[in-house]
Amino acid sequence: MNLRVKFTKEGYLKFISHLDMMRLFDRAFRRGNIPIKYSQGFNPQPKISIANPLALGIESQAEFMDVELNERMPEKYFIDIMNNELPEGIRIIDAKYVDDNNIVSSAVGWSYYEINVKVYNVEDIDFIKGFIDKWLMNTEILMERTRIKKGKEIKDIRNIRPLIGNVTVAEHDKDIRKGTEHELKLYCLLKSGDSGNLKPTDFLMAFKEYTGLDMDIEMADIKRLNMYLEVNGEIRSPM
Amino acid sequence: MIDKISFDRALKRVEKPARYIGMEKNSIKKDLEKVDIKFAFCFPDVYEVGMSHLGLHILYNLLNNEDYIACERVFAPWADMENEMRKEGIPLFSLENKEPIRNFDFVGFTLQYEMSYTNIINMLDLGNIPVYSKDRKDSDPLVIAGGPCAYNPEPIADFIDFFVIGEAEEIILDIMKIYREHKSNGFKRLEFLKEISRLEGIYVPQFYDVFYKEDNTIDRMEPIFDGVPRVINKRIIKELDKSYYPDKLIVPFIETVHDRIPLEIFRGCTRGCRFCQAGMIYRPVREKTVDTLVKLAEKLADSTGYGDISLTSLSSCDYSQLRLLVSKLISKYKEKQVGVSLPSLRLDSFSLEILKEIEKVRKTGLTFAPEAGSQRLRDVINKGVTEKDLETAVTYAFEEGWSTIKLYFMIGLPTETKEDVLGIKDLGYKVKNIFFNLPKEKRKGNLKITLSVSCFVPKPFTPFQWIGQNSIDEFYEKINLLKKEIRDNKITFNYHDPQISYLEAVLARGDRRLSKALYKAWELGCKFDGWSDFFDYEKWMEAFNKTGIDADFYALRERKTDEVLPWDFIDTGVDKKYLIAEYEKAKNGTLTRDCRLGCNNCGINRSFLGGVC
Repeated sequence: MNLRVKFTKEGYLKFISHLDMMRLFDRAFRRGNIPIKYSQGFNPQPKISIANPLALGIESQAEFMDVELNERMPEKYFIDIMNNELPEGIRIIDAKYVDDNNIVSSAVGWSYYEINVKVYNVEDIDFIKGFIDKWLMNTEILMERTRIKKGKEIKDIRNIRPLIGNVTVAEHDKDIRKGTEHELKLYCLLKSGDSGNLKPTDFLMAFKEYTGLDMDIEMADIKRLNMYLEVNGEIRSPM
Repeated sequence: MIDKISFDRALKRVEKPARYIGMEKNSIKKDLEKVDIKFAFCFPDVYEVGMSHLGLHILYNLLNNEDYIACERVFAPWADMENEMRKEGIPLFSLENKEPIRNFDFVGFTLQYEMSYTNIINMLDLGNIPVYSKDRKDSDPLVIAGGPCAYNPEPIADFIDFFVIGEAEEIILDIMKIYREHKSNGFKRLEFLKEISRLEGIYVPQFYDVFYKEDNTIDRMEPIFDGVPRVINKRIIKELDKSYYPDKLIVPFIETVHDRIPLEIFRGCTRGCRFCQAGMIYRPVREKTVDTLVKLAEKLADSTGYGDISLTSLSSCDYSQLRLLVSKLISKYKEKQVGVSLPSLRLDSFSLEILKEIEKVRKTGLTFAPEAGSQRLRDVINKGVTEKDLETAVTYAFEEGWSTIKLYFMIGLPTETKEDVLGIKDLGYKVKNIFFNLPKEKRKGNLKITLSVSCFVPKPFTPFQWIGQNSIDEFYEKINLLKKEIRDNKITFNYHDPQISYLEAVLARGDRRLSKALYKAWELGCKFDGWSDFFDYEKWMEAFNKTGIDADFYALRERKTDEVLPWDFIDTGVDKKYLIAEYEKAKNGTLTRDCRLGCNNCGINRSFLGGVC
């Protein structure tokens, strides 16, 4: 019985890691007596799989996981029990039995983010929208990445352009600017999953490199607004 | 409440920000405006260590059970967070309401190990609370401390307003009631301390003067007011089975040192190992009944969702109903995927049979503590195990499929010779031979033996409290000898840093003159001294030099048994005469039987009724 669950991860809970989330759900299932399936072996683990785990410090309005149950229980029942056990900040907002074998963690293809980032030392940021459009006209945006494989650092250069979907700049409130410091709000659709993945911080880094803007990426507020599957060239909700 | 925006900024820059966010399941956040007393429970180490400490969970829930009290947790921020806090101007705060600790009525530290003392100073400073007790005004919080290290409170006497000696759950609510009265009548620090000092188990260091002899030893200690007791008696729970134990535990988000349900099965220990402070100060042995424990386990498993129950005590295999308890728990929780574990093992086949039942299939490593390499030295320390015990246990373990064995030893024990030290190596090789002497088809896995050596630190209230510690050079000589002799790819040798053990010995048996050295060490940047990546021996030596403290006087000097010791004014219930007799027996290698086999007249029976000794 595969139950697909949509949940949030907001507030201070953005500071707990994927591993912490797995432990947290396991314990909440136990407390709530949810008939969860466990793996076989010496060290049984609950059969849950969370799609495209968030990096530490990023919030989300829409996370997805698949949970294997031993017996069917009403979705609403599941949601109520779990929300009683979960901390403030993690809320289950939807649950639905799915019968496709394609578990959500391997099916998810795109994530939609809201990014708030401070930009310094420019008079105006109206020009940024044009900048982004021009940047995305390139068919190739090269970015170096460092990975650790078998204890060795491997550097390679990849083209991240195919990993970037729509990017829009929100109308910004001119009143909140302080001198030459601005709040930039962006929305971007980025590839996330087994068939290509671009972290929102890497997206920002590449953009910063291209524009030479003075941006405080470390302090950016990033929130995932939704995740999508890509089916025959169309994107749709995992639920 | 601290400034949320600066706090958020700090969290984004630090490693493991979840250490500082609170909000865990079963944590209790009250409206601080609506309580009479705010109590900050401070653990002077990082979150993962502090959250693994059972005493925190007991006192946290006990205090929060009272509607008029809010107890919130405070931990030492890791160095990266401390930097951010100082940069952002964030004072030390509690996890629940993110309230600065200086707004609390009580700031209570638990003293689990001496090497956390500089963290106490650092936390007070980060909390904008005057570090020295004498500098605090009526508007400042009361800074109190308890826990095992409070049995020698003197090294931190200058910083603490009062100590609770013994098991705090017995007395803490009485303290709160007295404080509430004082607070409603206009709190005066001195008046409150005077009244509280008359309560059994409370020690107010500023109410005593200490006089020294010319040779720097203590002449006497005098109360400065009438009615202040000359002797402080420890407080204990008499009926552990009926005493308070929480049915809920805070469940951390991040992995802690002990990430499981701690089910305390008894307090105290009857073995009487002569080096062991816990074995002396937690007397008498008090067990909980199987019924109580099974009920507790159920409530805790339901309220936490933990997948593991750990049966904790000083020597869990000594619990009189262990087999019954284990089989009840296992039959109950097998279905629910909840495991049962034993943290400490005796070197006997009984322990291993129990372990086999518990572990069923998973064969994790086994750890034993022979403590000394030779039978002679094991008799000196009254560790009642023989080489035969080890042989039997290890043979059984190998036959049952274990292949990873860890053995704990101490070096620097009294009367130790080169032969005793080499005995550590011999035991390691013996274990190896036992493995390879088994028929090949019976051996499972890859043999891995770890010999782990720590440096003996003499502790107050033990029969070895008078003994001079080995010097750092002596420790290194012994370590180097073992390093040279242990040459086998199946055997790993590791050891504790003698410099840390030396400092631990100074602080463990120090007097109140050490407070100024501690302060100086903190000024020089010492903190998290129990962590080898932070510990800075040179800075400590500089602190002792600058404050005119001869550290060897505390660590290395052998005391006469008639010397007045800094902690002599505390009565643990175990007679000093008994400790002296044990000291003499140690020198002759004479054993003292386990108290369960017959009373050895240590005095605890006369001091506290209700013990099973």
